[in-house]
Amino acid sequence: MLACEPLMATRIVATPSALDGATWPPGTVLRVADDEVVFVGDDQCEVALADEHAIIESDHGWAGVELDADALADLIRHHIEWPLPDRPALAQGQIAGVPAKLHLPADSGGALLICLTALAHELEERVG
Amino acid sequence: MRIVVDGQPVEFQPGDTVAIAALRSGRHPSRGGTLCLAGDCGNCVASVDGIPWVRTCQTAAAPGLVVDRHPAVGHPSTSGPDSSAQVAVHRSEAELVVVGASTAGIAASANAQAAGHRVVVLDAVAGDEVVGLFAGPSLIVRRADGIHHLHAHEVVLATGAAELHPVCPGNLLTGIYTLNAAAAAQRAGVDLGRTVTVGQDLVRFEGSGRVEAVVVATAEGERRIECDSAIVALGRAPRDLLARMAPGVPVEVVGTAADAFALPRCPTEGVVCPCSKTTVEDLQGGWDRGFHELELLKRATLCGTGTCQGSVCVPHLQAFVADRSGATPKPFTARPAARQLTIAEAAAGFHLDPTRRTALHEEHLALGARMDRFGGWWRPWNYGDPVAEYWAVREGVSLGDVSTLGKLVISGPDAVEALERIYPNNVADIRDGRSRYVLILNERGHLIDDGMIVRQSATRFVLTFTSGGAAAAEMWTRDWIETWGLDVRVMDRTASLGAINVTGPLAGELLNRAGITDPPKFLQHRHLTIAGVPCHVMRLSFTGEASFELHHDRSRSVELWRALMNLGADLNIRPHGLEALFGMRLEKGHIIVGMDTELDTTPRRVQMDWAVKMDKADFLGKAVMLGWLKYTPWPTTVEIDGRPAVVTDTPFYDKEGARARL
Repeated sequence: MLACEPLMATRIVATPSALDGATWPPGTVLRVADDEVVFVGDDQCEVALADEHAIIESDHGWAGVELDADALADLIRHHIEWPLPDRPALAQGQIAGVPAKLHLPADSGGALLICLTALAHELEERVG
Repeated sequence: MRIVVDGQPVEFQPGDTVAIAALRSGRHPSRGGTLCLAGDCGNCVASVDGIPWVRTCQTAAAPGLVVDRHPAVGHPSTSGPDSSAQVAVHRSEAELVVVGASTAGIAASANAQAAGHRVVVLDAVAGDEVVGLFAGPSLIVRRADGIHHLHAHEVVLATGAAELHPVCPGNLLTGIYTLNAAAAAQRAGVDLGRTVTVGQDLVRFEGSGRVEAVVVATAEGERRIECDSAIVALGRAPRDLLARMAPGVPVEVVGTAADAFALPRCPTEGVVCPCSKTTVEDLQGGWDRGFHELELLKRATLCGTGTCQGSVCVPHLQAFVADRSGATPKPFTARPAARQLTIAEAAAGFHLDPTRRTALHEEHLALGARMDRFGGWWRPWNYGDPVAEYWAVREGVSLGDVSTLGKLVISGPDAVEALERIYPNNVADIRDGRSRYVLILNERGHLIDDGMIVRQSATRFVLTFTSGGAAAAEMWTRDWIETWGLDVRVMDRTASLGAINVTGPLAGELLNRAGITDPPKFLQHRHLTIAGVPCHVMRLSFTGEASFELHHDRSRSVELWRALMNLGADLNIRPHGLEALFGMRLEKGHIIVGMDTELDTTPRRVQMDWAVKMDKADFLGKAVMLGWLKYTPWPTTVEIDGRPAVVTDTPFYDKEGARARL
């Protein structure tokens, strides 16, 4: 059974160049858009950005679960209709009809699956 | 080994289809009509294990299978068996999909494989039932292990040709077979009795229920030939159901499926479409009413709209139209499904849009809430007593879960400029710590959403939107900022923040108990810690009573909700749902965009011109609104039920943009 847990995260919206030039503390940096990062692992991430208008907010709106290679393969086989990119990558799309993201690190065959906490119940029910 | 047909046991042999087993027992699988036993027509459909419209000629007989022939009049039951079990869905891709393992199909497959392409061949004989061909191109295929969604780069249709059915009086009798069907039946040991084979000389079949004689035309006149079974050899036409299903989809049709063919003789009498029971007389009636296009004639008579989607009748329908118009029309588009599906099969792999839950979902359920979907969220409709909820707001204090409201953070040196262009009201004069109710208009001046602008600093704002309109409003805001090239950052906090509305004449007292002795005034906002939870407190009103929206991290929602409920226990606090809220906002006169508005609703139509500042330099929709004033001035008199009425107290703007009032 898929069981998503709330993630400790910090969301940062800033100019793309500021995000490109940032030095991140230990944690998982998900570049969800050119101008946005979800930093997983700390809800008070301190990062120096060359953008005085950056929006940096503690965020508990995400839930996630680590999948090993077998669980990921099973998820792909039954619930993902789109081709996954080559690792390392952040893949974003619908999983079982629920908007979700897959962090695919280079050093693992697994993935971090995340979705909005508000939709975690739907993802869990549909994936089973 | 036995199957059960209409409640009677019927023996079958290994390799039998249901249709063959039924025929061997002397039963026509669907009570009448020419049999092709190739899956082309709908003349062998029956209910199999409770599922109606199953092609019995494509269904293997198996011990215990229950077959019920459809009733002679009316439709079969569609209640079916328990279909709660999910149908497995399989998804795959191929560079080339070949439909049909005919000679041409095998050749196309071999050529592609030799060129190094990944090829999938779908063979009906092997159990691959192609249900539909769609843009993409993609194919839906039914196999024994479930439904397959096959995405192809290229599709080749090598579906071959199908035998023509006869159209003449008596063509719905039992005992009529196409040439190949008769051969297959005889190979399977079905006793056809005395047979007669007929071709273009066919005039009619005679018999009562079952064919007893065939009448053919000869040089000397009609000749009657008695028989037990009639075999018709009328030639072939391309098996084009899939080719007709996807006009515009780049597929290649090869082999006999692509061959030109001679139209059959124009039918003069009999059933043209066995599925819809459309007769030649019906076609003539449609023609006489002016339906001279093939597609229109189909819609007017339902010819070709049944189980086989025209596989049997299209050549005859073409011949009918060609005879009267002098030109051969193209066949009509076929509609999926080429094979009848259960609801579970059709739904396999498809999902409803997910519905979000607020962090307070379980709290609502524990309080007895009846939840409903609203604006993409599960929300409490009521907690069992909407009247009591109403009075809690009007006379005491109540909590409402408004976490679903759209919430954007806007930051950047061009933030004011962006908002001035997007919104029809003034933004620059909103002071830090203040907020303002705003409408959102599209370029045509139509109302698309509303909400609040909350100013946090010279360059930073919080914007709120309706729950249902939040996603579109976010895209709207982002798109325009990007279009204008303004230096602004946008963060959507809708799903990250919870929001609780504390409302009622005792709302201030409740906040006081939570440690807030100096709450913000109307349309002000402050960051405060309430019952230990950091909140962004916005004072406004949608209920018509004093209201404080407490925006906070959603991970703290339950803690904050429970604290407020406990603190207000002796104030008879109770939460309110949407049912009570909608009544209260009506009393207050607040609109709900999307419920009270239509696609072309203007601010004027909902008497909210006051929220539009025509003297602003520019905003989305202004140019069109100026045009309205020029060409369609607001009437000063109108008629209501035929009686004149005077429009009073409606603000308007003159051509120069100055505000005035009638």
